[in-house]
Amino acid sequence: TTFYCCICTCLLSHHLLVSKLNIMSGRMRMRVDKISGEKIVYSDMAIRNNASVIEYCRTSMAALSGATSGIMGLTSLYGFAFFFLAGFVLWLLLLVKAGRHWQQYFVNRKSLLTSGLTSGIFTYILFWTFLYGMVHVY
Amino acid sequence: LYHVLLRTLSRKMASGFYKLMFIIGMVSLAHSGYSAAQHRRFIRITEQEYSSLPTDILVQSLVSLVLTVYGIVHISGDFKEIRATIQLENKTWESAGNRPSFYMFCHRGRNLSPNYSPPSSDGASYGHH
Repeated sequence: TTFYCCICTCLLSHHLLVSKLNIMSGRMRMRVDKISGEKIVYSDMAIRNNASVIEYCRTSMAALSGATSGIMGLTSLYGFAFFFLAGFVLWLLLLVKAGRHWQQYFVNRKSLLTSGLTSGIFTYILFWTFLYGMVHVY
Repeated sequence: LYHVLLRTLSRKMASGFYKLMFIIGMVSLAHSGYSAAQHRRFIRITEQEYSSLPTDILVQSLVSLVLTVYGIVHISGDFKEIRATIQLENKTWESAGNRPSFYMFCHRGRNLSPNYSPPSSDGASYGHH
């Protein structure tokens, strides 16, 4: 019975913590921090919000860099290299925006670099070929 | 000095400065595109050999790209703090332990109000039995 009581109190305290966090920030997810081994609780809604901001930035960056490389008249391999260079510049700008305490906003920095690459590259190719046709062929 | 500048810039967030930067960047990009098209037309008309665009058009398009993306990165919205416990640690007990639906107003404090009238002696003697 004491074991049952312990489990009940643990569940109750966990439920209270979960409910408090539900009031606060939507759902939360427990993850183990790999560096120090302690458990960190992340708020799901905040992670989703940050991911949508990054997605918006990445899509607009792909469109604008496609326009620029079309205007500059870049051809095959130079164009793709320019896309990766623009992605790197965007990564630097996002880190500057996050500031010194980037751990408040992201789990790790490397995921920022390669998160929306596939959809970004299609948008890039679209704007690149369109602007190249408009400026250099027309 | 850098921190003071950053604080004043962050106060103007999406309302003024970054929108202006975005618009200037877009206009400059469009201008560089138009001048590149004009240069190509000129080269085609005078039947010269086309190698690459003039340097100032390239520089203008690159600079306007960086300016536009910088404006977009700051317009696109704020980042939210993801660690849930840090938000909780800064709360005081006054805000965290506050449950407004548990407020009780039926207590002896009503004796202190100026409109208080003590109950009649009939009611008091009824309580004794």
